[in-house]
Amino acid sequence: MEIPYNSTQRPDTGLYNAKVGIWLFLASEVMLFGALFSAYVLLRVGASPGTWSMGLMNIPVGTFNTVILILSSVTVVMAWASLKLGDFKAYKKYQIATILCAAAFVLVKWSYEWPAKFTHYDVTFKDATAAKDYFVAAYGDNHSKQVTKIAKDRYNDPELQITQVPLSGHIVGYKVKGDTHVHDVGKVMNIWNGAWFWRINWQDTNMVALNCPKDITAVILHADGADDDHAKPQHAKTASLSTDAHSGAGSKHHGVEIPVSRIKRLSSLEPAHSPFFAIYFTLTGLHALHVLGGIVVLSYNLLPIGTRLWLKDPDRFANRIETTGLFWHFVDLVWIFLFPILYLL
Amino acid sequence: MQTATHTEVHHDDHSHAEQSFWTKYIFSTDHKVIGIQYGVTALVFLLFGFGLMMAMRWQIAKPDQPIPVIGALLESVLGNVAKDGIISAQLYNVFGAMHGTIMVFMAIVPLGFAAFGNYIVPLQIGAPDMCFPRVNMASFWAFFLGCVTMTVSFFIPGGAAQAGWTSYSPLATSLPTDGQTYWLVAMVLLITSSLLGAVNFIATIIQLRAPGMTWGRLPFFVWAQFVTAFLLLLAFPPLEAAGVMQLMDKVAGTSFFLPTGLFISGQPATISGGGSPLLWQHLFWFLGHPEVYVLILPAIGIVTEVIANSTRRPVWGYRLMVGAVLVLGFLSFIVWAHHMYLTGMGNKVATFFQTTTMIISIPSVILLTCLFMSLWKGAIRFTTASMFAFSFLPMFGIGGLTGLPLGFNFTDIHLHDSYYVIAHFHYVVAPGTIFGLFAGVYYWYPKMTGRKMSEYWGKVHFWCSLIFMNLIFLPMFKQGFDGMSRRMSDGGATYASGEGVLGLAAESIMTNTIISHAAWGLAIAQVPFIVNFFWSIRNGEKVTSDNPWNSTTLEWQTPTPPPHGNFITQPVVYRDAYEYSKPGASKDYLPQNEKV
Amino acid sequence: MSDHHASPEYYHGLIKKFKAVGYTLIIATLVTVGIDYFVEKYEVSFPKALAFAMLVAVIKASCVIAVFMHLWWDIKWKTISITMACTFFFFAAMMYLTITSVNDVPGLDNSYRKLPGQAEHSALADK
Repeated sequence: MEIPYNSTQRPDTGLYNAKVGIWLFLASEVMLFGALFSAYVLLRVGASPGTWSMGLMNIPVGTFNTVILILSSVTVVMAWASLKLGDFKAYKKYQIATILCAAAFVLVKWSYEWPAKFTHYDVTFKDATAAKDYFVAAYGDNHSKQVTKIAKDRYNDPELQITQVPLSGHIVGYKVKGDTHVHDVGKVMNIWNGAWFWRINWQDTNMVALNCPKDITAVILHADGADDDHAKPQHAKTASLSTDAHSGAGSKHHGVEIPVSRIKRLSSLEPAHSPFFAIYFTLTGLHALHVLGGIVVLSYNLLPIGTRLWLKDPDRFANRIETTGLFWHFVDLVWIFLFPILYLL
Repeated sequence: MQTATHTEVHHDDHSHAEQSFWTKYIFSTDHKVIGIQYGVTALVFLLFGFGLMMAMRWQIAKPDQPIPVIGALLESVLGNVAKDGIISAQLYNVFGAMHGTIMVFMAIVPLGFAAFGNYIVPLQIGAPDMCFPRVNMASFWAFFLGCVTMTVSFFIPGGAAQAGWTSYSPLATSLPTDGQTYWLVAMVLLITSSLLGAVNFIATIIQLRAPGMTWGRLPFFVWAQFVTAFLLLLAFPPLEAAGVMQLMDKVAGTSFFLPTGLFISGQPATISGGGSPLLWQHLFWFLGHPEVYVLILPAIGIVTEVIANSTRRPVWGYRLMVGAVLVLGFLSFIVWAHHMYLTGMGNKVATFFQTTTMIISIPSVILLTCLFMSLWKGAIRFTTASMFAFSFLPMFGIGGLTGLPLGFNFTDIHLHDSYYVIAHFHYVVAPGTIFGLFAGVYYWYPKMTGRKMSEYWGKVHFWCSLIFMNLIFLPMFKQGFDGMSRRMSDGGATYASGEGVLGLAAESIMTNTIISHAAWGLAIAQVPFIVNFFWSIRNGEKVTSDNPWNSTTLEWQTPTPPPHGNFITQPVVYRDAYEYSKPGASKDYLPQNEKV
Repeated sequence: MSDHHASPEYYHGLIKKFKAVGYTLIIATLVTVGIDYFVEKYEVSFPKALAFAMLVAVIKASCVIAVFMHLWWDIKWKTISITMACTFFFFAAMMYLTITSVNDVPGLDNSYRKLPGQAEHSALADK
């Protein structure tokens, strides 16, 4: 039994089966990502001041990813055109280039962009005094400029007060109860190997420790772009890590020592950090899954099974590459919208 | 042409390949086997979902009394939630949520859309199989995995999902048990299955129609399946997105659907807040409303086939019906928020959704009217299948008309979330859709097995089901008017002693007992069906021809049961789908592929 | 694409188009990023920046759909055009109606949203 119109076009619809199938699938994908885009807009429109925490995105890296995804779109369509010209070697070359671009895209996400978020911490303080103390400790006389910069760059709202913006940076050490010296957390703390982090509701006055040693009394935070050698303010101490047994490379770090009692909320830029990071990780995660799926299909077509089909039924093989390409262009298309809404606006 | 020669070459090495038991019956790519796999799985879950409901009805009729026999079983399997054989409020919630989920996503949709659609659609359009047979198999196994996940969730600590089949956040997210997580994972699998199925159906109907099978000659059942597939294709993905987001809320601690300032059990929740509970409701009902038509359209399709066949005359207003079903499908995407009038929606939006809701009743009425008109002057054959199909009309009529007061936002304020709603949508789905599906089982059984089901026991099944269905759901309208709310684990006993507006009328609570007895009666009424179904596989009356009902459509022009590849020779279609009693013809039906 | 047995010249012509679209896309990306820089430097208002970014994104998307996905040639086939038209209509309806309904609430009081970081007040205590 052979299904009709597998490799030829049905005269009245003008299409072969797989092309109908892939366009229908893409229609459902439009609705899937469309729902997530709707969620993005709705959450953003409804966000109260100081909670839409974008602006920490790495734009050069995002641009790089956009460009390689566009390149992969060009190569995948060139692969199809090569097949139509009967040039199987060129097809292989272009398809390998596509897979390499796709792999580079995922690799950048997996090894750099996402981990960078998980190792980056935001601290908000219980009251204005504490906030001022530690912003001064981190940025010295520049602190009010820094507050405005964070308010503008990250929250797009220059009106925000000092209690509404977080002190943001890497955690380099911590102190535990009954022990005065600073523990180094290794290179940088992250929730994969450090395995401890805090999260807290905006309203709660007591910090809830999730998945971390309960007796931590203070954290050492190296704030973004802070100089290490500014004058030390009265209220807050800056700590430099002691060069004892387990410090190692971390001893070069300097940071502000913040007692847990003065922190209102401490969270890495994980999905639970805020609605923005929630939708950021969901959208980019789902998109990355599509890229991975694309890599699997593209690689499958490069296997000997693909070559055999090419020798047996070149039209059908070219159709297969065309439908794969249609999916791949859709993945590119989604990224074309994701890039501005997650990185730029 | 180069490709044409290829086609012929392949033809041989496929059709002669010997198939092992596994590839023939388990991992089959044959649409008929997959249809039967879907059908059997769905019927099992239909019974299971019905069982959950019967346990709930016991708790409603006799609050906090142990269930005889079953109670001990429940306690031994589920433990403390069914202590002493009494259904606790928690278990009631589990059963309620899972009854809805199982019936909608694991019983009716797979039975109406996937089972009948898979088996019948390729046959009716004259295709050798579905467009993508392997995708078809993947669709079934994704569905099966989803069903397994959903079933397993009963046995995890804390039990299955408890927040209703609608799973509104924040309730669904903040329940401390893992049931909701399992529910979401299972739903993602079920949705994936539906998407694969929908793509396959649409592609098959567009691409694989036999020569001469123009759009105007398609049997109405195929049209209904076509529109249903589009609804699944475009309405399900938003729920998948919402499911992924709720899953993130559950496992990654995000706040997509959790508002700022949320307190759980008196404690501030350890979340960032900033989410929107309304977002879940919008995305859920964006699926939820088209889903209603996914439930009903395949049944209308089956009923149309059976009515045309058993009245021996063409369907009245075939083109009108096709137009109506297309309009219905289109409009069903923009009515969803009539489920949400009580969320504090403003006048502008409420008016919009109220208007579209009223407009969408027009195509539904057109469909029903056409089917009623088809009965006029028919030479009616009263078979079991046709009786189920005829009774579908008034039952669906009641369900549809009682929906109008729910579609107006001012009347909905009183009726929302009451037993009136339960009665309304069960009239659409239970005596409506399920009767349609029963009609389909009795009608197509001879094609699938080569034997007929017993007509006598079929009629017993029909009359008992009809009576008990109405005894169950008619009194619920009254209960709803009286103000009895849904989802009360004691059937409102708590409010029995209340005064004035707060109290429930005593007869409303007494009615609970009547309804429960009717429900158990309905269960007994299904015994003839189940026995008949299995007994007839081997012992039913053998059909003497491939076309025992003298039908016009193509599925009866194949061998019985159809072999892999369906048709011996490629059928060519010469006429419309329902040419019964054509003046001047030698017999009272003209098959679509018969050249005059 | 419609014609399966077109001449090699036809596909060579296509390849030129593919390359041209590739360059356009990369340039458009750089333009968007450049504009983002301007937005920060000259404090362009958010609605203007949004409109521009979306305009560029839509242009890029149209290029991909029309040329890479061959829709320019395939749109004459009703299967594709009707399906995609319906899809975009439903997507637009979903987004527009959802967002409208959230904002169309009688007596909506947005002030409660002001609380994060507003010192020690809790959401409920504010009221």
